[in-house]
Amino acid sequence: MMEKTANEQFTVPIGPQHPALKEPGSFRFNVDGEVVTGATVRLGYAHRGIEKATEGRNFVQNIYLLERICGICSDIHATAYVLAVEQLAGVEAPPRAQAIRILVAELERIHSHLLWVGVAAHEAGFDTLFMYSWRDRETIMDILEGLTGNRVNYSVNLLGGVKVDVDEQQKDTILKGIEFLEERTKHYLDVITKDAMFLQRTRGVGIFTRTQAEVLGAVGPTARASDVARDVRVEAPYGAYKDFPVNMITEKGCDVEARFVVRIRELFESYRLVREILNKLPEGELTARFPRRIKPGEAISRVEAPRGELFYFVKSNGTDKPERVKVRTPTICNMTSVVKLAVGHQLADVPMILVGIDPCFSCNDRAVSIDHHQHGREDWSMEELREYGIRFYHGHT
Amino acid sequence: MMDNETILQTARLLAEDIAESMDTPAPNRLDIRLNRAEHLMPIVAGLRVKRLGYLAAIVGLDPGGEQDNLEVLYFFCPGAAIVTLRLLVPKSEAQVPTLSEIIPSAEPFERELSEMFGIKIVGIHNPTHLYLPDDWEEGIYPLRKDVEVQAFKAQT
Repeated sequence: MMEKTANEQFTVPIGPQHPALKEPGSFRFNVDGEVVTGATVRLGYAHRGIEKATEGRNFVQNIYLLERICGICSDIHATAYVLAVEQLAGVEAPPRAQAIRILVAELERIHSHLLWVGVAAHEAGFDTLFMYSWRDRETIMDILEGLTGNRVNYSVNLLGGVKVDVDEQQKDTILKGIEFLEERTKHYLDVITKDAMFLQRTRGVGIFTRTQAEVLGAVGPTARASDVARDVRVEAPYGAYKDFPVNMITEKGCDVEARFVVRIRELFESYRLVREILNKLPEGELTARFPRRIKPGEAISRVEAPRGELFYFVKSNGTDKPERVKVRTPTICNMTSVVKLAVGHQLADVPMILVGIDPCFSCNDRAVSIDHHQHGREDWSMEELREYGIRFYHGHT
Repeated sequence: MMDNETILQTARLLAEDIAESMDTPAPNRLDIRLNRAEHLMPIVAGLRVKRLGYLAAIVGLDPGGEQDNLEVLYFFCPGAAIVTLRLLVPKSEAQVPTLSEIIPSAEPFERELSEMFGIKIVGIHNPTHLYLPDDWEEGIYPLRKDVEVQAFKAQT
């Protein structure tokens, strides 16, 4: 038998364009035949320099900037940020506002998890499940649009409160929608745990042991599918989660199937929470008075985004602009796991392993770049973008 | 999981002989100030052994102005408690040891810290850029206060 040397390794680049899913990230897999022997990841294709940008904007402007970090979990970014700034200012939002914040957070989690079920099913080649779950997801998108006016970037949060209220009619619409989704979710749980073809792609694939998950610092459903009880809503309840406690959902499977089951079971938990919040919504004001300038200090805010713990650090210096805003998103914690997990697997399993952590690259990178050959460069000023937008729409009307 | 007070007390005991000072900015928090990089690893190893080693984030701070030091904050968040190691790093010789030997998830945080603040991570397995482009100009560290956002526009 011939002896193998390191030079014989073959590297398969996946990405930066759409590595299994429609976002940019670059993975390089060393393979021996079909088996992955090593992997590295390169990020930053969507880096916008948002942390730097926050330093040039005032505390109010930053809500809208930070909400645009991610198109899927936009609301939770704004929530984490306003909670930190409220800590610095020593202001607490009124109880009704706190409850509406977590109501929208749970609705967002439902939309995000349903979106993920679809994307993950698509990666497994199960497009029927993808289409059904995305059709059903429209229910929650309509609810969010009815409540806030937007399908993404809901702009619910203000410093010291929220912008939207829930009336009786909206409450009925939400409850009806949730009832429909709960029935559908039962069906999905049935499908993902019983469909033999689908189980071949998920059961026993991408085993991530409890110890690995703990040591590699995995968060959110990725950690909970490996039986690591890590959920900020339970461990360190923030805002109205103190009044509406959450049950920790964990699974012992440690594979891609467990990651499906955890998220589906979390959907049921979110449905329960949404009902409970709507039925016990405290009466009262939606906003508290908030100062323009924030006294010097540092605040940490940890919240549970759909993908796991989202960590914000905000430092103020006594002016109306923050000194420093640090955003640590859940995907970066879980990305380490993908790289470790892939080793020893068939290359064809890599998309399922990658999608199993529900990666969000714009979370990860916090960035945007525009390629425009006419200008011969990649960065545009706000003014140029505005002019381009006006020209574009004139040309299309 | 231990309760907050036990966690903070454990961390306090670990840092007792090494820390420059300690304070409690909030009931669930403990800030441990260190002024030498070599004091970092013993505490990190101790936290890891005591199963308090969930590293939530590494944050760089540039106080700006005439200050000679950068500050690196390591946030450990076991349960609801937050243990922060605050390490001052001189700008003239900005380097910290890597935590990734003990805590593998530290590597991406350290690579970000390194490229954004120009802090060398001693012993890191992969010191290349994580977020910034490969052809990013040497010596420009975007999150330092002396780098203006306008400077990026001028480059292009």
